[in-house]
Amino acid sequence: MLIGCDTGGTFTDLVLVHEGSVWTHKLSSTPDDFSRAVLEGVRALRGDGETRGRPTLVHSTTVATNALLERRGARVALITTDGFQDVLAIGRQSRPDLYNLKVMRPEPLVPRERCHGVRERVSCDGEVLQGLTDGEIQRVLDAIEAQDVEAIAISLLFSFLAPQHEERIATAAASRGHTVSRSSDILPEFREYERASTTAANAYVAPVMARYLGHLAHASTNDGVTGVRVVQSNGGSAPAEHAGRHAVTTLLSGPAAGVMGALAVARQALGARPKLITFDMGGTSTDVSLIDGDFALTAESEVGGVPVRVPMIDIHTVGAGGGSIAHIDAGGALRVGPRSSGAMPGPACYGHGGTEPTVTDANLLLGRLSPQHFLGGRMTLAPAAAERAVAGLGDRLSLSAREAAEAALRIVNSNMERAIRVISVERGHDPREFTLFSFGGAGGLHACDLADALRCPRVIVPRHPGVLSAWGCVTSDVVEDSSRTVMLRAEAQSAATLERAFGELTDAARRNLATAGFEPGDQRIDLSADLRYVGQSFELNVPWKGDIEPTVRAFHEAHRRRYGHADERSAAEIVTVRVRATGVTIPVALEPIEEGSGSAPTPTAGSGGLRVYDRAALRAGHWIEGAALIVEDYSTTLVPTGWGLEVDPWGSLIVTRTAS
Amino acid sequence: MGQPDRDPHGLVDPAEVAFYGNLFISIAEEMGVSLGRTAYSPNIKERRDFSCGLFDGDGQLIAQAMHIPVHLGAMPRSVDAALGAFADLGPGDVVMLNDPFAGGTHLPDITLVSRVFVPGEDTPIAALASRAHHADVGGMSPGSMPSAREIVQEGFRIPPVRLRRSGRVDEDILSLLLANTRTPEERGGDLRAQLAAHETGARRVVEAAERYGADELDRRMGDIVAHGERLMRAVIQRIPDGRYEFEDCLDGDGVSDGPVTVRCAVDIEGDGAVVDFAGTDSERPGGINAVAAVTLSAVYYCFACLLMTPAEEETPPDVPINGGCFQPIEVRMPERSVVSAGPPRSVAGGNVETSQRIVDVVLGALSQALPGVVPAASQGTMNNVSIGGWDHRHDRPFTYYETLGGGMGARPDRPGLDAVQVHMTNTLNTPVEAMEFAYPLRVRRYEIIDGSGGPGLHRGGCGLRRELETLGSCQVALLTERRKTRPYGLAGGGPGAPGRNRVITDGAERDVAAKCSVELGPGDGLIVETPGGGGHGTPTASKEARDPCRGSDSTDD
Repeated sequence: MLIGCDTGGTFTDLVLVHEGSVWTHKLSSTPDDFSRAVLEGVRALRGDGETRGRPTLVHSTTVATNALLERRGARVALITTDGFQDVLAIGRQSRPDLYNLKVMRPEPLVPRERCHGVRERVSCDGEVLQGLTDGEIQRVLDAIEAQDVEAIAISLLFSFLAPQHEERIATAAASRGHTVSRSSDILPEFREYERASTTAANAYVAPVMARYLGHLAHASTNDGVTGVRVVQSNGGSAPAEHAGRHAVTTLLSGPAAGVMGALAVARQALGARPKLITFDMGGTSTDVSLIDGDFALTAESEVGGVPVRVPMIDIHTVGAGGGSIAHIDAGGALRVGPRSSGAMPGPACYGHGGTEPTVTDANLLLGRLSPQHFLGGRMTLAPAAAERAVAGLGDRLSLSAREAAEAALRIVNSNMERAIRVISVERGHDPREFTLFSFGGAGGLHACDLADALRCPRVIVPRHPGVLSAWGCVTSDVVEDSSRTVMLRAEAQSAATLERAFGELTDAARRNLATAGFEPGDQRIDLSADLRYVGQSFELNVPWKGDIEPTVRAFHEAHRRRYGHADERSAAEIVTVRVRATGVTIPVALEPIEEGSGSAPTPTAGSGGLRVYDRAALRAGHWIEGAALIVEDYSTTLVPTGWGLEVDPWGSLIVTRTAS
Repeated sequence: MGQPDRDPHGLVDPAEVAFYGNLFISIAEEMGVSLGRTAYSPNIKERRDFSCGLFDGDGQLIAQAMHIPVHLGAMPRSVDAALGAFADLGPGDVVMLNDPFAGGTHLPDITLVSRVFVPGEDTPIAALASRAHHADVGGMSPGSMPSAREIVQEGFRIPPVRLRRSGRVDEDILSLLLANTRTPEERGGDLRAQLAAHETGARRVVEAAERYGADELDRRMGDIVAHGERLMRAVIQRIPDGRYEFEDCLDGDGVSDGPVTVRCAVDIEGDGAVVDFAGTDSERPGGINAVAAVTLSAVYYCFACLLMTPAEEETPPDVPINGGCFQPIEVRMPERSVVSAGPPRSVAGGNVETSQRIVDVVLGALSQALPGVVPAASQGTMNNVSIGGWDHRHDRPFTYYETLGGGMGARPDRPGLDAVQVHMTNTLNTPVEAMEFAYPLRVRRYEIIDGSGGPGLHRGGCGLRRELETLGSCQVALLTERRKTRPYGLAGGGPGAPGRNRVITDGAERDVAAKCSVELGPGDGLIVETPGGGGHGTPTASKEARDPCRGSDSTDD
């Protein structure tokens, strides 16, 4: 028995899977202590489940993310090689905005006065140039203890080649009662700024996360929960104890769970290797991600302006959502966003005092939202307020309210189209081959128009769009990524070193999987390596083919595919080796919904002349011709003229173009 | 709000500007992605030292994928030069140029220009340009940015020529170019990447014309330019009318004696501006001469900052930069001065050093008009460090080039940033570990210099210290500024500390010049200290001003 639980800022969503059946539950989040809503939801579901089974809880949480974004993490000290204490303050020497005279850099997680140097030095060959004395370790720990810190991060130059100095400091610090994150454990890869930043981020969020998970694990045992796993940014989950210590791997837990849920649903609907563009449009922003058979990972992420170089699902965010405000700029042109009305006052039609026209107001005015069905009936929208706000904008443009609303929607759609082009066209993919997978409260109203602009042939709106992320939780395997920079020429004499590195990483990963309860038969190990041509400063990750030579051939091939050319005569180097260890869990799947007999149920007439269908009344096989509106508790789907909708056997809405 | 019917630059349809703006910028961005993805050299791929632009049929800039400020004013000049040389430029033709005196900036920047036609039509509907910094185009030293006295020493100079005619690359011209660079394969690869970018751009423009109609696109391009002009006029309108003058100088040109004065006067009248560099020194024998395109870029950069700096604590506006934005700005440059040099002068340093000083004087003038907006002087240099020699570890020659950040000038409401690239550049540093893997160099220290930011109510940003040990014999070339003159403070704030260059040979430390070349051996050292930014406002006994760990000691300490 599995319970998936996704905690967002507003709602906590849960699904329970037991012997092929699925139960869902949604309740308000409890931001003062997120675990309260989680536990309440678990209790509600286990009652529903008519079973007293003992579930495993798989959880996606924003606890670490919020601690980082809101700068509410632990008080951290950083230890670096002497002379490099300013590594976080200097960063890459660049500024985030080219033309903004008020530009600021995100505040480093550790202020300069808590960054300490120790006298030691390792060369780029891993040779110790200057040894680290015990007296030096004492000195730096004494200095740190005078600063009253909650966690210590250690990131010394070239520690991925010779971790002994970091290990000695960590041991000494731990024996003095400190919580420690060291770079040779968190991210043993070269590029000192990114490694120090990632290690400091872990030290910063781990105490907060460990506290939360410790409490949750303890309290949930009373409700029969036998184990807690946490969804990581890499599209897998990890046992709570591991996630607490490596909390930096959970910074995209929530968005990753959404993409994982989308992939799981699409695999049932379209086959094992679907081509998807996921489109999650919320109130203030929209997340998009591209899935070409499987989700793409990136090691280039930043969270809240802090580089975090652990593998994460590649998710792109744009500041466009239902709350984006339409306005006229200083040059007299209509624009939408990036300013948003936020949760308060929200769009004018929320009736909370907002007067500026938003995307939601434009949708309501055009009859694309049913005023009574918003947020599952928790809120009634005020069409008059929307009309006032949009008409005011139209007056300044010499347009009717309707025309102004249409223009605003056209602009917000083109803003989102640009975001999708970044992850598709700009990365060499043709959107015409992809299905747009829409979830999130506001997405269904825009998905078909966006698909038109991008020429995507199909849109999917999943069953249970409101709990898709929780579904992503229960479908996750246990995954642990590990890596080490080796920086070797791709030639025969490097083989022994490579083998040792892969062997050590694999052994450690297998031990962890065994501890998590996975038999060797349920363990999968994938080896890969980052290669580049000598002289290049960027790497390509390719699967390890068991030996150097075939791997280098795969690298040439990958280089040609990605960049259009390869140079077989140039020397290659193997920069970093990677091990992905997977504990394969029992697969779960959506059960089929009831088959419809005959045609779709009779619609009601909506305010904009659209036929309105209640999604709860739809059955598998039902076909609805556009223009129509499908309403359900937490989202609304618009099927425009020229599009038609079919309900698939598992209850997802498959919307396709009927006219060319 | 403006009155569209009264306004000579009125918009045909203000509700469509954002939509078409997105369309046009995404065309320029996709060209850029295509170029970055298929290019060969790290300088283009990793440091992203390139730009792509979409122009209308007449060569007016419609959208530019924003990468490098120094390309802002230079790209339109390239298009003018290319279309001026080949008025009949037809389908499949591509012009190539790098001549700083005919549409270029400095020799390593090679620009391609083409026109886009709807199949079967004779009238071009758009023009495209791409500019990329090529790592070597010949000349006295690897990298083609030597300390030279004449442009012919700096590298291979390309006036506008047709690299491609009716879809076929002119192999004669290509082989002539490739025979004159140290890295012909890389150059050929990077040029092919630029050509591919033009194909991407042309395909997208033709698709858009088929979808929306060529006439419609033309109208919308007109609206975009008119909108850009209205945005900039609205910005200038808010600047009080008047004449604002400022003067500053470069330490020297590295060859002849004495500082080099750059002077400007900004005249604001209504919604237009005239920037006049009368009084600026004549061009010099050393390579700090800027050509007019560089000067235009620096001036446009300053006004682009005014456009994109938010009034309050907000995210900066997503404002599209296009040719219309610069219509209201007239730039006057005395001929054969260091801001408008002519042949046969050497110009490599004009792009990287003089451009920063031009920004200093234009912002200095504007600070009198907009005291609440404009910051004090930033470090005013890119601190160019080139090291070349023999890598005994791998038995091959090596060349290493980097630019170093320094102090940003204090803002009227906040301090300057520490150790950051300022104004005309924003390239990334080379990580210490990446550098030691790749070159026979070791970094001993890389740190912020406490106290180097100018004192003030808000302190200037601090410079940084980078200390290198050379593990073998090598030649070090420094092209730096603000080693004598200091970045100015404003409104009572003090100047930032000057930078300093030192070498350690045989255990002894000594100062070396701002622009120089020195030989170092195994175990020797190089210490570069970059300038701090100027302070803003009269220092008080406030905590920030006194905090010795962050800024310069205030005067009352």
